Amino acid sequence: MVKERKIVCRCEDLTEEEIIHAIEEGYNDLESLKRYTGATTGACQGKGCLMHIVRILSQKTGKSPDEIGITTQRPPVNPVPLYILSEGDVE
Amino acid sequence: MKVGIIGAGVMGLSTAYYLSKSGIDVTVFEQKYLLYGASGRNSGGITPMIDKEELIPFALDSLRLYDALPSEVNFNFLFRKDGYIRLASDENDTEKLRESVSMQKRFGIPSKIISPDEVREIVPDFNPETAVLASYCREGGVIFPWPVIWGLARGCRKNGAEIKTEAKVEKIERNGNRFSVYVDEEKHEFDVIVNSAGAWSNEISRMVGIELENRIIKEEVCVTESIKPYINPYIYDISSGLYVTQTARGEIIGGITGTYVDTIDTSSTIEFAVRYARGVTRMIPKLKGLAMLRQWAGAYDEGRDGLPVVGFTEVDGFVQANGLGRHRGMIVAPSLGKELAKLIEKGENSAIKKFDPQRF
Repeated sequence: MVKERKIVCRCEDLTEEEIIHAIEEGYNDLESLKRYTGATTGACQGKGCLMHIVRILSQKTGKSPDEIGITTQRPPVNPVPLYILSEGDVE
Repeated sequence: MKVGIIGAGVMGLSTAYYLSKSGIDVTVFEQKYLLYGASGRNSGGITPMIDKEELIPFALDSLRLYDALPSEVNFNFLFRKDGYIRLASDENDTEKLRESVSMQKRFGIPSKIISPDEVREIVPDFNPETAVLASYCREGGVIFPWPVIWGLARGCRKNGAEIKTEAKVEKIERNGNRFSVYVDEEKHEFDVIVNSAGAWSNEISRMVGIELENRIIKEEVCVTESIKPYINPYIYDISSGLYVTQTARGEIIGGITGTYVDTIDTSSTIEFAVRYARGVTRMIPKLKGLAMLRQWAGAYDEGRDGLPVVGFTEVDGFVQANGLGRHRGMIVAPSLGKELAKLIEKGENSAIKKFDPQRF
């Protein structure tokens, strides 16, 4: 039997159900939800999933997307191989 | 007795956990969300191999607590016990490494001096040219700091403690024998206040008129994309400050020991990213093709003589629980929290006398 699964975070393979479960467990602010589920911490760093996570949080908690905010954006913007970084021109 | 704890990091929550376990009424205030401070930003290295003799009993006790707590609070801390390597890349630090190991041996810790080639037996792709000498202890390894905090928080709540997040303490007033703590215009009354605010402890302390003068350290950390299990132990170069290991999620995590700063700063820098990439790809050359996914910074504090500041102060009922210091907050906090809870309950505890805030 194939269960109906809505994948909302492809890097970390998370379904909408799993996000809802975490919110119900009490991880009901964006920063806590991010850490508890791993959503937005994969290879895309949230580019593909953040808006889904905000939408689900908004639907579950009744808060507006503005109140929920977004996660802290951390460098680099895209993954950078270590050998390229090590060539960086800094002292 | 009502106790108010300021700061829901590993120190505040450990204290809260053991106090509430004894039936004491506890409220914890966290200025933002759980994991916002250093307890949510460190890389989770756990070892009894620390240089400060005074702290070793607490490291050993915490290792026992990290075994006992997960089933007590019903949360897996994802503690991977694959050992810990401390190495010296500078000739001048080898004596320090040897002295440290002989001191640890007196406590029965199974640490030993190993050669750079022996490091390769534990980490096959390690470049032996990046070390002069190393020490290894099979006890310890790497813990995932997040479930430690979530688990302790769960334990606290089960014991009846309250944890308030997004609750920044704005003011503390002393009224007779009680304290009033102001958060968002709300007033909370306590008999005892515990200052476990990490890098923010100086500010909290100032609210009751005590100049704590803990040193603040800014440190940067990063992770790469996830790979299969590749680095088992935690590796820390005491000369360059560079450390690296692998997380429970498969990311290669690492950083460089931070520097003293005047004000709290958690900005990420390209200088760190480049220095780290250079250091880590020299240490383990095969990492060079891996991509850095995310970097961040954190701030923590250290007592001004290098030891933690834990105990009663000249302001009756105001308790310090901060200044845990470099590479050992996660290592000693569970035990220090347990002993501090005893001090608060009984009014005395000789086990933590050396960390007395009034020693300065």
